[in-house]
Amino acid sequence: MVERLSFYLERSSPLHRLNPTTKLVVAFTLILVAFLGPGLLLPSLIFLLILTPLSFVGQVGREFLRTTVRLLLPLFAFLFVMQSLFYPGGKTVLFGFWIFSVKLEGVRFAFLTATRVLVMVSSFLLLLFTTHPGVLLLDLTQRGLPASVAYILASTLQIIPQMQAKAATILDAQRSRGLDTSGSLGRRIRALLPLVGPLVFGSLVDVEERAIAIEARGFRSSRPKTSLVEIEDRPLERALRWLCLLAIILALGSRLWP
Amino acid sequence: MKLIDSIKKDFNTMTLVLIPVAIAINVVIGQIVVLLRLPVYLDSIGTVLVGAICGPWAGALTGTLSNIIWGLLIDPNAFPWFPVALFIGFVSGWCARFGLFRTWWGVIITGFLVAITAAVVSTPIAVYLYGGITASGSSFITAFLLQTGRDLVTAVLSTNFLVEPVDKIATALLAYAIIRGLSRRYLMRFPRAENVLPAESKK
Amino acid sequence: MAVIEIQNLTYTYPATSHPALREVSLTVEAGEFVAIIGPNGAGKSTLCYTLAGFIPHFFKGELQGEVRVAGQDIRRVRLEDWVLKVGLVFQNPFNQISGAKFTVYEEIAFGLENIGVPREEMKRRVEEVMALTGIEDLADRSPYALSGGQQQRVALASILVMQPEVLVLDEPTSQLDPIGTREVFQVIRRLAHQGVTIIMAEHKVEWIAEYADRVIALAEGRVIGTGTPADVLTDPRLPDYGIGISRYTAVARRAAGEGLWPAERRLPVTLDEAEAGFRAVEEAHAHLH
Ligand SMILES: Nc1ncnc2c1ncn2[C@@H]1O[C@H](COP(=O)(O)OP(=O)(O)OP(=O)(O)O)[C@@H](O)[C@H]1O
Ligand SMILES: [Mg+2]
Repeated sequence: MVERLSFYLERSSPLHRLNPTTKLVVAFTLILVAFLGPGLLLPSLIFLLILTPLSFVGQVGREFLRTTVRLLLPLFAFLFVMQSLFYPGGKTVLFGFWIFSVKLEGVRFAFLTATRVLVMVSSFLLLLFTTHPGVLLLDLTQRGLPASVAYILASTLQIIPQMQAKAATILDAQRSRGLDTSGSLGRRIRALLPLVGPLVFGSLVDVEERAIAIEARGFRSSRPKTSLVEIEDRPLERALRWLCLLAIILALGSRLWP
Repeated sequence: MKLIDSIKKDFNTMTLVLIPVAIAINVVIGQIVVLLRLPVYLDSIGTVLVGAICGPWAGALTGTLSNIIWGLLIDPNAFPWFPVALFIGFVSGWCARFGLFRTWWGVIITGFLVAITAAVVSTPIAVYLYGGITASGSSFITAFLLQTGRDLVTAVLSTNFLVEPVDKIATALLAYAIIRGLSRRYLMRFPRAENVLPAESKK
Repeated sequence: MAVIEIQNLTYTYPATSHPALREVSLTVEAGEFVAIIGPNGAGKSTLCYTLAGFIPHFFKGELQGEVRVAGQDIRRVRLEDWVLKVGLVFQNPFNQISGAKFTVYEEIAFGLENIGVPREEMKRRVEEVMALTGIEDLADRSPYALSGGQQQRVALASILVMQPEVLVLDEPTSQLDPIGTREVFQVIRRLAHQGVTIIMAEHKVEWIAEYADRVIALAEGRVIGTGTPADVLTDPRLPDYGIGISRYTAVARRAAGEGLWPAERRLPVTLDEAEAGFRAVEEAHAHLH
C-alpha cells in the first residue's frame, strides 16, 4: 500500500512555481477541450503536444508517463477489445473470427474515448505531481474555499498513511496468528472482519479528543481568519487563466454550432 | 433559512473531525478489499456512517471529498464519479432520518435505496465519459446486453442495477455494525445521534 | 488577585446518574502553580475540562454552582472566547495535532490564523514560543513524524502562542517515555518561573512537591484536601484514597514507625527535606553516644 501524501514530487521547476489555481484551471481547460472539442485526434494531440512536454518542463516526465501508463493500460486494453467488438451501430467490419467481428466504428470510438480519458487522468496527474497538496489547499482557501473543507482534506491526507500503516501491522499480526488472506472466497470474506474491527474502532475513539484540541486552538472562532503564508499570483498567470476561459468557450461553441 | 439551518446542524466540530476518519476508512477498507480480491468495493462505509450519525449534508460532503481524496492519492479516474459518492452519503442520511437505521432490515432497505441511487447517478457518467465500458468486471454484462440489442444507456443502467445492491447492502450493514459497536456516550456527541439510538432510550 | 474562582461546583455528564464533580470550591491566584492529584476516575480531567470551558459548552450535561475566570461567568461566555483566556493541553500528544497543517511551524501558527492575528505578529509569536519550548529545529518537520515528547512540546507551544491567561495541563506526560517526560517538564518549569498561571493534573508527586505552590487532592469528585505540597502530600489518608505518595514520604513514614524520624518534624516530600530529616536523626544519635 502507498504511504505518501499525494503524487507530489519536490522539484524546483517553473511548473512547480506556478500558482496552484493556474495549474488547476489549465488542467480543467484541457479536459473540457478534449471532451467538447472537434475531431478524432484533438485529445491525443493535447496529450502529445501539451501535457507530455509540460511534464518534462516540470522535471517529472518519467514518473508522469510511468504512472499514466500504469493507471490506464488495463482500462485501454479492455476498452479496445470490448468497444471494437460490441460497439452498438458498428457496420464496417474490419475482420471477423469465430462469432465475433471487429468493426471500424468501434475502434474509432474506443480510440476517442481512450484518448479523452487519457487527457483527463494525465492533466490531473501533472497538476498533482507538481503541486504540494497543502499549497493547493492554501491557495484555494485564500480564494474562498471554506476553511472546514480545507481542514478535512488536509487532515485526511495525513490520517490515511497512518491508517494504512496500522492496517499493515494488524494484517501481519493476524496472519501470524493463522488468518488466511488467500484461499476461497468464503475464507477471504471471513478474513475481512478481524481486520476491519480494530482499525475502525481504534481510529474512531480519538475523534472526541481531536475535536477538543482544534476547538482549543480557536478553530470555531467567528473572527475573520488570517494566513501565515501568502501564495504568489502574477498578472501573467491571471491573463493565462482568462485565456483558458476563452478556450473553453471556443470548444463549447464548436460543439453547439459545428 | 430552514434549509441553511438544517445544513448547519450537520456540521459541528465532531462532524468535521469524524469526516477525515470516515474518508480514511473508505480508502483503507477499499484497499484491503482489493487486496483480499473480494467481489465488492466496500469503499463507502465511512460515508454511510457519517450520513447516519451526522446527517445527509455531512454524508454528501464526505462522499464528495472521499472521491477527491481517492483521486489525489490513488487514481485521478475517481474524480468524475464524485456525484455517485455524494448521493450515497445524502441518501443514507435521509434514510437514517426516516428511522431506517434502528433495525437491521431498515438498514437493508437503506442499502437497497442507496444502490438504486448509485446505479442511476453513475449511468450518465459511465456512458458519457467512458462510453459505457469501464475497467470493472461488470462491463462484461454491459457488453452482453449490448450484444442482445439493448441501447447503451439501458445496458449500463441494467448492469448497475444488477451489481450495486450486493455491495451497497453489505456497506450499509457494516456501517450499522460499527454504529452498534459505539457507545451511547460517544454517539451522543454527533448532531444526528437520535437517528440511530434505539427509540426507547431516547430522552 | 484571583484569576479563577469556583464555588460549589457540581457537574454531571449527560446520560449519567452520578456527578463527576461534587461541591468543588477553589480559587487560583494569578501566577500560582496549582497541582491536582487524585486516583483514576477522581474527576481530574473533568475539572480541567471545566476550567477550559469544554464543560459545559462542549460536553453539555448539568452544571451547578459558579465558575469564573477573570471575573466572567463560564455560562455567559462563548467557548470560542473562553479558549483565548484558558489554554488546555492534555494527555495524548498525538490527538492534539490539528491535522490541518503539514509542518510544525504552520501547526503552531494554526491557532493564530483562526483568531485572525496579522502575519508579521504571527511569525514573531510563533518563533518566540518555539524558542521557549525548545523546538526551533523542528520547524519544517511534519508534526506527525515526531517523538511523543516533541509532539507534546508542539502541542504546548501551539497553546502558549495564543497567550492564554491560564494554562491548564491534564497529565501532560502520562503517555510519554522518561526522555519525553523530562523534555516537557523542563518547559513547564520554565513557564512556572516566568509566572504563568498553571493548573496541572498530575500523578508524579515528587515533581509536584518540588514545583507546585499548592496541591488539591480529589477523590470521587470531591476535594479531600488542599494546601501546600508539604501539607497535602503527607496527609496519611492519601493511600486509602488510592493516591500515590512520594517515595521520600514513604521511607520517612516507615522510619517514623521505627522511631527513626524526628518526632516534631513533618514528613518530607522532597529529597532535600528527607536528607535534612535523616541528618537530624543521625546527629541526635551521635549526641547520645
Ligand atoms: N464524557 C463522559 N461522559 C460520562 N462520564 C464521564 C465522561 N468522562 C468521564 N466520565 C466519568 O466521570 C468520572 C471522572 O472522570 P475523569 O476522567 O474526570 O477522571 P480522572 O481523574 O481524570 O481519571 P484518570 O486518572 O483516569 O484520568 C469517572 O467516573 C468517569 O467515568
Ligand atoms: Mg484524566
